[in-house]
Amino acid sequence: MSEEHTLESRLMATGTERLSLLGRYADVLMQGYSRDEVPLEPLTDGALRKLLAARILWRPDEHGAVKLTPKVRELIAEMLADETRRHVNADVGETLEQIRNLVQSYREAVNRGEHYQQGPLMLRLRQEVDDLNGRFADAIDSLWQRLNSDFGFVSRLNDKIRENDRAQKQIVRLLDGMALIDFEELIELVGSDGSLRKLLISQLQQQLSLHYTNLREVQGRLIELMARFRQQQQQSRLVAGMAAFLREHPGFIPGNYTRRSEVPELFNRASPLQAAGSVALDHHHDSDTIASLLHALPVAVHRPEIVEAAGPAQVEEPSLVEARQQALKQDVERFYLDVVDRGAAPDGRPGDVSALEYLADSELEWDQEIWLFQVIAEYQGLPREEQRAFRLIPEESPAGPFNDVQLIHDVSLVLAV
Amino acid sequence: MIEHGPLLERLLAGEFICAISDESAFRKLEDGDVREQIDTYLRPLNRRLASNEDRSVHFLAWRQLNEDAREQLSRQLGDTVNSLLPLLEWLQLVQEALGQDALAAPGDVLKPAEFSARCEDNQSLRERLERLATDPFFGSQSEQLDAQMKQVFKRLKEHGYLLQPHADRQVYLVTGKIDYLVELVRFIRDEESLPVDDEAPARQESLL
Repeated sequence: MSEEHTLESRLMATGTERLSLLGRYADVLMQGYSRDEVPLEPLTDGALRKLLAARILWRPDEHGAVKLTPKVRELIAEMLADETRRHVNADVGETLEQIRNLVQSYREAVNRGEHYQQGPLMLRLRQEVDDLNGRFADAIDSLWQRLNSDFGFVSRLNDKIRENDRAQKQIVRLLDGMALIDFEELIELVGSDGSLRKLLISQLQQQLSLHYTNLREVQGRLIELMARFRQQQQQSRLVAGMAAFLREHPGFIPGNYTRRSEVPELFNRASPLQAAGSVALDHHHDSDTIASLLHALPVAVHRPEIVEAAGPAQVEEPSLVEARQQALKQDVERFYLDVVDRGAAPDGRPGDVSALEYLADSELEWDQEIWLFQVIAEYQGLPREEQRAFRLIPEESPAGPFNDVQLIHDVSLVLAV
Repeated sequence: MIEHGPLLERLLAGEFICAISDESAFRKLEDGDVREQIDTYLRPLNRRLASNEDRSVHFLAWRQLNEDAREQLSRQLGDTVNSLLPLLEWLQLVQEALGQDALAAPGDVLKPAEFSARCEDNQSLRERLERLATDPFFGSQSEQLDAQMKQVFKRLKEHGYLLQPHADRQVYLVTGKIDYLVELVRFIRDEESLPVDDEAPARQESLL
């Protein structure tokens, strides 16, 4: 008993000492993890010896560099969930062998009544089962991590496809390993022992069935993802290939698929149709809605310049219209000068001249109304002094018997001097 | 039918409906009953619902192909063929500028400013963008990189390959019409037996 205790306390002491090495040299070890080899400069000879003795570091060949041992590398990868280096340990056979041996030893100890042996054996058995369980749990965790990141730890599609492939192979190995666990055999092995039965049958079975479901789920998702990767790869090849082909064959024209009796679905795209609508007043009950819409319209602010600017006369061939306006003005001015001439003639006396008569006599082509307008406008446009020299006599009549609007039929101009 | 009004209007206007451009409309169009209702409505307009092979985009097709319809489709095919190379080159340019080895996919976010920055740093990308932007399909008249980029994005938006969720923000989403384009390319490749390969040289066998 005391021998057992000394062994255990010695293990405890050495273990603690060696674990603390990991902490003390964490910096150097991480450099060794991220690079190929462990830098030796920061380490004293003593420290290096301790690290080698603890199998934290090793020297692959006599004179070569010092590196992290695979287990430590794996431990760090596991702690960092570093998917580029995380390993999946699917070796179930070895563990099963261990479990079988331990069960045998335990049962023999029970049969022999060696109680002090039973405790440690049970502990080791429990640890083995935990190991097995943990191995699947770790592997599944690692697989989900990779899946959820879309294999984000590698950037190229080809690498993603390879990584996905590797993950799928790991799942197959894990499932194969799982298949090695034969519960019929375990049931026979544990016999009637209650605690063994609980550990190896009910507990393990429950855990494994959970892992199995999980693995199948990940597997399904990986296959889906793989299909997507492959599709992406194909699409990008297709686009690159087609672009290259079209560049080489600039005159390429495919067959006219639209003339076939069955036009391929992709090429049958109906022409666009705009659904237009306008305000309609033929539905009496709509009028309120339309009225409210009308009221809701923002009030347009019309500035006089804008109205002028929007006038068609200035938009459509402004030069021609301006020229005609100018000609009209000149003809009217000549009419005024004619009236002045007549009034100033030695024999003449100021007589009124009808604007329309003048228009007809001088064979001008202006429309009568426009002509009258311009004659009146010219009169009103004169400076007050000159205006007094003329009298403009309109010939007008009411628009109708009951309408007092005066219509101007003609105007006569007379020199007022 | 009233609840499908806006959707019908968009379809009639020639839009492609995908999960990116209008998710709720897209879900509706996945429902067989709704499709049937819409088809019934479209019958007098000589149109029907159509989808690409993946059923990731929906659009309207002619129901009866009369001479006018064929004439229009034939013109459209010509336009499509002419736009093929610039569109494919744009897809390649995006892929290379972003350092991706997959094509821009529906739902991807693209920012013209990001492209401009990449093209500024890389003479070869810059030259390719220049060539692309001045292609008649994109029709840029500018010599400025930003203006060219803007024009390219604008045209892609007009053609329904991109979507601009906020009019005042230069951020675009790739729509499902890209899938349609890729299918179109595959169809032409197969139909014309063009020497264009899309399989990886060393194909790995799937495990299941």
